[in-house]
Formats: sequence, structure tokens, C-alpha cells
Amino acid sequence: MADVRDIMELERPPTPEITKETILGSDKPKKKLFNAPKAPKRPEGMHREVFALLYNDTKDAPPLFPSDTCYKQKIDLTMRKPRKWTWMPFTNPARKDGAVFYHWRRPSDEPKEYPFAKFNKKLEIPSYTDAEYQQYLKDDQWTKEETDHLMDLAARFDLRFIIMEDRFDKEKFPIKRSVEDLKDRYFKVVGLLGKFNGDKKIYTYDADHEKRRKEQLKRLHERTTQQIEEEQFLLLELKKIEARKKERERKTQDLQKLISQADNQSETPKKTDKKIPKKKLANPSRPSRVDTSQHILQAIETAGIKFPDYKNSGVSLRSQRMKLPANVGQKKSKGIEQMLQDMGLELNPTPNEDICMHFNELRSDMVLLMELKSALASCEFELQSFRHQYEALNPGKTLTIPSQLLSVTENDNKQFNSGEIIDVVGSPGNPNT
Amino acid sequence: MSLPTDFGPDSGGRIKGVCIVKPIVYGNIARYFGKKREEDGHTHQWTVYVKPYHNEDMSAYIKKVHFKLHESYANQNRIVVKPPYEICETGWGEFEIVIKIHFHDPNERPVTMYHILKLFHSGSTSDLGMELGKGLVSESYDEIVFQDPTQLMHHLLTNTKQLTLGRWEHNTNFEEKKEKTQKMIIEAKQKVRMEIAVLKNRLKLARETISQFKDEIAKVQEMQYM
Repeated sequence: MADVRDIMELERPPTPEITKETILGSDKPKKKLFNAPKAPKRPEGMHREVFALLYNDTKDAPPLFPSDTCYKQKIDLTMRKPRKWTWMPFTNPARKDGAVFYHWRRPSDEPKEYPFAKFNKKLEIPSYTDAEYQQYLKDDQWTKEETDHLMDLAARFDLRFIIMEDRFDKEKFPIKRSVEDLKDRYFKVVGLLGKFNGDKKIYTYDADHEKRRKEQLKRLHERTTQQIEEEQFLLLELKKIEARKKERERKTQDLQKLISQADNQSETPKKTDKKIPKKKLANPSRPSRVDTSQHILQAIETAGIKFPDYKNSGVSLRSQRMKLPANVGQKKSKGIEQMLQDMGLELNPTPNEDICMHFNELRSDMVLLMELKSALASCEFELQSFRHQYEALNPGKTLTIPSQLLSVTENDNKQFNSGEIIDVVGSPGNPNT
Repeated sequence: MSLPTDFGPDSGGRIKGVCIVKPIVYGNIARYFGKKREEDGHTHQWTVYVKPYHNEDMSAYIKKVHFKLHESYANQNRIVVKPPYEICETGWGEFEIVIKIHFHDPNERPVTMYHILKLFHSGSTSDLGMELGKGLVSESYDEIVFQDPTQLMHHLLTNTKQLTLGRWEHNTNFEEKKEKTQKMIIEAKQKVRMEIAVLKNRLKLARETISQFKDEIAKVQEMQYM
């Protein structure tokens, strides 16, 4: 027990003196040992403040904040007397009749003007004398009485023309006046008066425009479901037509590219081919419509196959350079395969430098050929549809398609079995493309 | 150019503009036992190999050749560090063998080839050479291209010894094959170019006709609106 106390650094009771009682085994000192409150002793090296936190006299948890202040002073409700409210009369200066109303108010507050009176805005409606009217405001459509009535209504209803139109004295003035008529006359009068009084700001009112606008809105509102459906349908058709037009424009552009590329390939076969990959690396973005010369340059880059340029240092196998790049689609690679087989060539010829180059060029040309074919097929289709259109417009007459163009597909089929190859770019058989 | 003492794995410098080509032949020969072997069902003995196309000792620059066999073989990965680079095995089936050539300079990445082990004659005899006694041969020609080799590699590549004093021959006559293939490809290319020219002209005509038709239709439409 004593050893444990030593280890735990607990206070050790003084070794009891050997007396008669200890020997006899009196239980008194033992009791004392457990029950007596231990006098806390600060261990050496511990700061006094830390010790005080651990042991204090009452063994209570130390307070977390000073206890002499509260969070909030409690409001003493009993101390003050409430201020008084009284039922008091008041007048509204906005009212002309001086009627007296009552409301609750503190008698301590100074009697002020009724605060809501200021919201009673009155518009200033310009007035005119008889002479002025005779001089400036005469109108074939309006008598002076009617104009007076209008100005009166304007003042009464603060230019709320819808109400004015409703309250217009229809018995006295049998001519039917629409809201636009009233507005038109009113603004004309105000404008003319303002002009002769030298006002800078003159309002003009375009009654015709307003009438048309309302008419339009009315019509829009009164459409039947069928009409709405028809409109939707027509809008859809319009979109389709525009899409088709764009597609056609795109096609003719592609065609231009193909032709220029074919020109390039047949005239300078090797030189350009070798230069293309470099150019392509420098500017891989899609061709945009800039100018024709650039257009043609970029067109060369887009058709055919671009084999990656093996200029990087390091080891490679020659046969790797004959792999078709990943951007060559399945249809194209199938087409190439088909053509190679038809010509009795190997799909993977023995790779040395020359063969590698020629083989790649050959396959690039093959892709171009396929693209040309499909372009031609779509051209033929377009020609046919134009002819039908022409025949429909101009019954009894027709346009003749040159025979060279008509026989394209039959001639080709003799050389290559290209039934599916033609489908590479788009399906020309589909009239919706 | 630097002194020959300059190289070593750390020199790292590549000799720009230099391109060394090392042609190789890889493939397999196979021989039929004549019957199915009782104990394991194997029917063929075969040898897969990588050989230099020219008579030279490739160990000067090749550190090792790694053949990856089918997983059913014990010791699937076989490594050969000196010529002849070949693995002799028996088996009953064809599979793809991955051949990876590592070079002495770790800066040069290894090259990988894929060879379909051939045991049986098939319809396409394009790459099959048959010789009596040797059984079936299926081999391919390829070229290892060292673009801008490192200085160490350049030294190793240009200082190779002959592998044998005797004649160095292959089972397949690749020279003849190359010549023939090249001729055919060039012919095919000319043919395709001719067709391109023809099609191009047709396309031009088609375009002109299309614009002509468009004009005609526009004219007719105008007439109708009037």
C-alpha cells in the first residue's frame, strides 16, 4: 500500500510510532487514515495557480466566469408607469370637407398634421381659356364642350383613362370615344398648351401605334387552340427549313474543300503530303470561314488521313507508323480494308521506310476517294431533288442532268464494290438530311 | 560532337537528327509430332524467336528480350539475355505472344511486338513459308527505328559484330517480298489518284450544274410571284 502511494506520489501518512496500541491492533489510526480530509499539498514544481485549479477548499468546480455579473440586467417591469394612449379627434388635410375622425394617440406627442395626408397626390391638369381654345386647340373631331368634359374627367380621375372612358358622358356626346381617342386628345391639348407656354418637356402620344398594339394583343389572346397548334407546327417547319438550308451550305463548303484537296493531291503529290503533318500540328483547330486561300489550305488538312508525325526522339517500330490513327472512324477503316482486299493488297505489308510511306499515302488517298464518292452521290441526289422541284414549279418542263453525273454509281461499282463505302459521310438517300 | 568518354547512362544527351534503323525478323517455326502426345496432349514443338535481319550480334545494344507466353505455361514470362533470342516449347494451341525488347540504355524505352503463334496452316499463306523438315514458318519483318539515339546507344548501335561467319539467311525472302509489295502499292496509289482526278472533275461539273439549277428555279419562282 505504501509503495503504491509512493508511486502515485500521494501523501504518505507518517509512519506510526510503535506504541502499545499499534501492536495491540487498535483500529483507530486506520479510520483516521481514510476519513480525514487530506490536506492538499502542492507538489514541487507545480505552479500555484494550476494547483489552485485542482484543489481548493470547497472542492467545487471553479467558476467559469466572474459570478458577480449576470448575462443581462433584468428589466424591472414594476418600476415605471406606462405612457398613456388617448382617443383623440383629428382632421385629414387631404379632405376638403373637414370631416373629423378619431384615433388613438399619445397625448405627450405634439399634435401633428395627419401623416398620410401627403399621399393624396393631386395631378395638375392644365387649363385653358376660351380664347386659348379658339386660338390653338380647335379640332374637327372634338367640340369645346367635349374637350372640357374630358379635361374635367382627367382632373377627377387623375388621368386614369380606363375609368375616364367608362364615365364619359355618352348621352351628351354620342360619338364613341375609345381610351386611345381620349388619350390622343388629352395629350394633344396638353402638348399644344405646353408648347405655347414654353415647356421643354412635351409628351407625344401615338394613338395609331397603341391601337395596333392592342389589336395585336387582342388577337393573340383570342387565338383558338387549333390556331396555336398550327402556329407551333409552322414554327417547327421553319426551323427545319433553316436547318436544311444550313446543311446545304455546309455541304457545298465541304465540296469546295474536297475539290481543292483533290487538286492539290493530283498536282503536287509528294511535296504537300510531307508538309501537311507539320502544319496540322501547328494549327489543329477546325477550319473557319476566314478567306478562301486559307480555307483551301485548311481543307487539305481535313480530308484524308493524318498519320502522326514520328519526329519524337526515342525508339519505335516501323510497323507502328502504319497504324491508322484513332480518329479514323470504323466505316472509313472498313472501307480502306475493303479496297485493299479488292486490289489484292495486304492489310499489313512488310514495313520498310518506302513501303510505309507509300502505304500511308495510298490509304489517305483512299479516304479522299471515298469522301469524293459520297459527296458526288449527295450532289446527284440534290440535282434530282432540284429537278423535281423545277418540274413541280414549271409543269411540262424539265432540267437535264448531264449524263456523266447520272452514271456515276454504275461506273464505280465496276471498279470497286463500293455499295457501303458511299455511305461514309452522310446518307444521301435520306431526303431529310 | 562530344568525346566518346562522355557517354554513360547519366549523359542523357541525345544526338539530334540521327536516325538508326535496325531491321529484325520475328516469328515462330512449328513442327508437328505426328500424333498427340499421351501425357499432356501436346501436338507441336515450336520455337518463337527474334533475329536480326542482317548478320549482327544484337546483344551489343539489346539488354534482354522478354517473351510473354500464354498463362497456361509454367513460367509465363521468359527472359533471354543473349542470342539466340528464342524460346522452344511444346503445346497444342495458338495464342498471342508478347515480345518486348529492352535496350542497354534505360533512357530508350523498350519496344513491344505481338506475334500470333502459328501451329496450323491456314487459308492465308501470305506470311507462311514452308520448308521441308523445318515444318511451318510464320515470321514478320519489322524495323526498330532509333530516332535521335542517346550517345551511349549510338555507340552501341554503330559498333556491332557479326553474329556468325557463315551465311545469314531467313526462311522468308523478304527482299523479294518488299519489292513486290512496294510495286503493288505504288500501282494502287496511281489507280486511286486517277480515280480521284476523274471524280474531282465530275464533282466540279455537279457543282456547276447545281448552281445552274438553283438559278433556274429562282427564275421560275420569281416569274410566279410576279
